[in-house]
Amino acid sequence: MKIEGDFEVEAPRGEVWEKIRDPQVMGASIPGCDTVEQVDETSYRAQVAVKVGPIKARFNLLVEVLEEQPEHTILSRTSGEEGTRASVVNSDNVVRLSDTDSGGTRVDYVANVSVTGRLGKFGLGIFRKKADQLAGQFVVNFREKLGVTA
Amino acid sequence: MMAKKVLHSLTLNGEQVDVATPSGATLLETLREDLRVLSSKRGCNQGVCGACTLLVDGKPVRACLTLTARCEGHEIQTVDGMGEDHVMATLQRHMVESGGVQCGFCTGGVLISARELLAEDPMPSREAVKTALSGNVCRCTGYRTIVDAVVGAAEELAQ
Amino acid sequence: MTEVLSPETVEDAVALLAEHEEAMPLSGGATLIAMRNASLVEPTHLVSLDRIAALRGITRTEEGGFRIGAMTRHCETAACADLTGSFYVLRRAAGMIANRVVRNMGTMGGSVANADPAADYLPALACCDAVLDIAGPEGRRQLSILDYVEDWYETALEEGEIITAITLPAPVEASSTYRKIARVSGDYATASCAMSLDADGQGLRVAIGACGPGPLRDRDGEAALRGKLDDPAAVAEFAGRLVALADPVDDVRGSAEYRLRLIPRLVTSVLSELTQQKEMA
Repeated sequence: MKIEGDFEVEAPRGEVWEKIRDPQVMGASIPGCDTVEQVDETSYRAQVAVKVGPIKARFNLLVEVLEEQPEHTILSRTSGEEGTRASVVNSDNVVRLSDTDSGGTRVDYVANVSVTGRLGKFGLGIFRKKADQLAGQFVVNFREKLGVTA
Repeated sequence: MMAKKVLHSLTLNGEQVDVATPSGATLLETLREDLRVLSSKRGCNQGVCGACTLLVDGKPVRACLTLTARCEGHEIQTVDGMGEDHVMATLQRHMVESGGVQCGFCTGGVLISARELLAEDPMPSREAVKTALSGNVCRCTGYRTIVDAVVGAAEELAQ
Repeated sequence: MTEVLSPETVEDAVALLAEHEEAMPLSGGATLIAMRNASLVEPTHLVSLDRIAALRGITRTEEGGFRIGAMTRHCETAACADLTGSFYVLRRAAGMIANRVVRNMGTMGGSVANADPAADYLPALACCDAVLDIAGPEGRRQLSILDYVEDWYETALEEGEIITAITLPAPVEASSTYRKIARVSGDYATASCAMSLDADGQGLRVAIGACGPGPLRDRDGEAALRGKLDDPAAVAEFAGRLVALADPVDDVRGSAEYRLRLIPRLVTSVLSELTQQKEMA
């Protein structure tokens, strides 16, 4: 399943680049993410809780940064599983930053996500809606961390 | 982990039975695992396939979606306890004669749904039979012979 | 392992839900037990509502409407001959849920609480302007069905709250029906339409199901359409407003695009069915 979108923040690209590479800022911005722990230079672990109606899931994720082109592109891979349960999530992610005319930054993201196991029973249609919802919340939180409102 | 068992007193096919079954068990689990009553089949365990259908207080329900804890004080009937029922016996005979039974896994559930239909609508159209059996999945027959059996039984019962 | 608790009053049920953190209320079980069997939910306790007499039965209210107990099974609603006129839509929807066997199990309160976007009651209830009676740790409250669904499978029901009844307001002189497009008999809706046409032929209430997180209802659009039901352009404009409100998913039942196309067709064809019925009467 491909999830993509974009948003703009009224902050210079250098600053957005700093924040987007800071696991603590990202952890605090991702809805449902409560712990982030740096493993080494290019990877960190995170725990993320997701809830769809009565279904609650908690994923242990490993995020690996595969490639960085400073101040404009990050390629990463997310993989994880749900405790002892047989749900597995994998995602290949691309984030691109560009300047806007008004001196802000535009962020484009694409993620190729696969979910298997007990949560795979849920329709992909609902996953996509939930992903859009979470992305919307992320943008609100991330802007707050940057100290901008729009 | 050993499941904690709970004692329940059930009325099954007119007889009182006491059974120790895991707390939170479904009626299907209790019947098959603890009582070894095997006429309700475990197909999807999701309420979709209809192979576990049985009667509680005379109404067809899915045994896989019914908790045993809720069945105390209610009358449970499985298809193997209904041989004396005239409508059921007629349906059974027509199922055999028309070739509506192949592997037999869905048959018990089909018969219970068909009997409920005939109680409400003694002369159903083929369309009505198909709709009434829409919650019973058969992977062998292609359904035509099952519909033949239900319509044939209805005609015989009307005479 | 799940422990089953069987309280006999609403107060006890609410107290048990508050006492056990991972407890869930259990009504008919048609969805929740299936989810538990698939390990999608793993409650430590199921608070069974089936012994609570106060949650049963369909009764008339003083205003001439109905109070439908949350534990009323789909088969009872489908067989309730008192649900006529503007409330017939609900009876009709109940009779189209899944199949006979599931209708013997599932309850209105359970279906509403689960808030599946493609299930049948929510659009029918939205068309009836139903009100939910809710009980929880903070006491009792009422909520319009139109304010109930907040997002995909997210409702205004707070943790520990249960639906005790669904109240239908005083009836209006109208005829109503429910139509659903589904792949096969008994499937969830690909798209559905609940509609009620006033006896004077002027006013209309419409709710679309399975085309967003909750039922789509456009009361401003209905007001603008008042008295113009024989004007195809006005009806098309109204249907267009419903399409604009829609946010359907792509899934096995149909693409989002297909669902958007179904909306205007459902509106015009159900309206013509109700108009013809009125002319024949």
